[in-house]
Amino acid sequence: MLLLEKHADYIAAYGSKKDDYEYTLSEYLRMSGIYWGLTVMDLMGQLPRMNQQEIIDFIKACQHECGGISASIGHDPHLLYTLSAVQILCLYDSIDAIDVDKVVDPFHTLFGVAGLSLLGDEQIKPVNPVLCMPEDVLQRIGLHPDLLS
Amino acid sequence: MHGRVKIKTTAQQEEEKRKEREKKLKIYVAARDACFSKRNEGIWDDEALQLTQQLLSSNPDFATLWNYRREILMHLETVKDKDEVQKIYEAELSFTESCLKVNPKSYGSWHHRGWVSARLPRPDWARELTLCDRCLSLDDRNFHCWDYRRMVVKMSGVPVDQELAFTDRLIGSNFSNYSSWHYRSTLLPLLHPESPEPPSPCREPPQSSPPPSPQTHSHRVCEEQLLKEYELVQNAFFTDPNDQSAWFYYRWLLGRAEREEMISCVYVNREEERVAVAFSRPVNAQSVGLFLVLDGQPQRVEWRSVHPCFKHSPVWICSLPPGTISDITNERNLTVHWTEKHTHRDCALYTGRTESWCRDSATDQELFRSELSVEKTSVLQSELQSVKQLQELEPLNKWCLLTIILLMRALDPLGYEQEMLAHFRTLKEVDSMRSAYYSDLCSKFMIENTILKMEYAEVRVFSISDKNLTTLCHLDQLLLVTHINLSSNHLQRLPPQFAMLQCLEVLEADNNAIENLEGVYHLPKLEEVLLKNNKISTLADLQPLASCPKLKRLDLRGNPVTQTANVESELAELLPSVTDLLL
Repeated sequence: MLLLEKHADYIAAYGSKKDDYEYTLSEYLRMSGIYWGLTVMDLMGQLPRMNQQEIIDFIKACQHECGGISASIGHDPHLLYTLSAVQILCLYDSIDAIDVDKVVDPFHTLFGVAGLSLLGDEQIKPVNPVLCMPEDVLQRIGLHPDLLS
Repeated sequence: MHGRVKIKTTAQQEEEKRKEREKKLKIYVAARDACFSKRNEGIWDDEALQLTQQLLSSNPDFATLWNYRREILMHLETVKDKDEVQKIYEAELSFTESCLKVNPKSYGSWHHRGWVSARLPRPDWARELTLCDRCLSLDDRNFHCWDYRRMVVKMSGVPVDQELAFTDRLIGSNFSNYSSWHYRSTLLPLLHPESPEPPSPCREPPQSSPPPSPQTHSHRVCEEQLLKEYELVQNAFFTDPNDQSAWFYYRWLLGRAEREEMISCVYVNREEERVAVAFSRPVNAQSVGLFLVLDGQPQRVEWRSVHPCFKHSPVWICSLPPGTISDITNERNLTVHWTEKHTHRDCALYTGRTESWCRDSATDQELFRSELSVEKTSVLQSELQSVKQLQELEPLNKWCLLTIILLMRALDPLGYEQEMLAHFRTLKEVDSMRSAYYSDLCSKFMIENTILKMEYAEVRVFSISDKNLTTLCHLDQLLLVTHINLSSNHLQRLPPQFAMLQCLEVLEADNNAIENLEGVYHLPKLEEVLLKNNKISTLADLQPLASCPKLKRLDLRGNPVTQTANVESELAELLPSVTDLLL
């Protein structure tokens, strides 16, 4: 059997360990750490013991110009911590606390995927370098870019 | 951080420790804040290098600081000459090495080292390989090191046979080496590839032949080398029968080649004016260039998968425009093109016939096992004897039992059926925690055997009753089946994949534990459904049956749903086509 009370107490108190050496050293993964603590509290039905507003404000402060989110304030954005932040906001049903459109950038994602194809990634279908669209689509709609000679 | 032993000390020692850590923390925080503020001001100087070095030495996972360090180094590249840059980066290599001594599994350190190696004006790849050797000798499962090694091998063009010899050495010194066996499995097909299969008649010759790459080669090994590998790995599992890695490698060696991608079956029906196409793997028909040509004329059709929940499916259906094939006095020739893979399949619909199909048999396709040469067969026979002998010495070893089963499947799935079932029974006793997995695996093998028997008998009846089935699979192979008998098994559901049985007329599934009928969905020819003694509990569970327009006979005796209030009138409303209802 799990000692649920003790687990919940431990996690609830963890965030106030700001003077702890290990806590400070693990700042580079803070966003994920918060997420891990919150899911466990949620599973134990103890989520309300955590300070929702403080956490959401923290996440807002971690979103960068590019749309990505960092592990903590002042750190660089990273895919891992962007995911953790999104997961936390979903737990709190507050996804709009951040700029969602910036996190998901369809324009750059499309060009990123097209770039991978042009670089030879075999799992992505061939892409026309001029129009950045799949070759089979261009063939189907009958569009061929003319080369200037 | 994990697994740190807490030592009880006196209160005074505790206090001293606390003061020490407080001091340590102060120093760390000061350095960190200094780093951040310097970076914000865009400063890329020596002090910044010192500060980041200080912090990363004790905390190499602080990714942001590695980023800052790289910014500084890239700046230095622009202001220093090549020799200075070489020195700087060599110092960098030393630094990462010391970080790795502290934590050999730090993503940040390995990534930085890789970054530096790629930028070093005069890289010393031999030295890098030596570093990897040392690291792996300390921990041969450090995947960071393996990844780094693979990068070094690629950058410096180390020949594959040299790497293979490397795995020989590692395996020779310690058989329990999952990572080495795995690496070996990627190298072997490059060095000793299986010869390419002759092109099938349905495959158009490709425009140009691309050079083999890890993505295009078949991942299989030529037979001569395979036989040598069997010997090598057998030594391993005889030396230590409890080590998993050798058994897994052996299982990989016994595995079959990837199936050729093709259209495995085309089915046409005049009455329903419908075409069903089965592929060798799940596809998304909307995006693979699937075209239908009838008597030379392309047809505009809409492809749908058998169940709305599948965007990818091995079976796709379309309806032809009304009247196109309904006249039974006309012969029609149908071709389905899979343009993405340059392959197609023809199907002739003859005069006087309401339906037609074209498919490769499961045996021809070597669907469930690859063709064995005489040499390989005799080797595997002796392997089987050896492993059986080992099993007598180690009766509780599950790997032995499982491997015996796999060898029997490879040699003669039908011939060894009874022995296989006996071994599965033993296996479930020996490793009872995984008995559900073994039940499912046994179900899969029994289904494979039944498909083979059905092929040999050349009938469209699939009968697999009283075989302890716990799960269904290979349903894409049952497209043409008209009668299926699943009675007296342990099935709990007929999943959405069941809808691939597009020709089904009679479904017998008495005496199971079925509570879900999702897959009995839009089966146009289904007339009879027998579900006596199952676990259907609500009317909602029967909803999918309403999508089967020809359903006439339904047996629901011995199901909890029969106790529902007004069940007869409710069913009359839900399933109006049913005339013969048993409750």
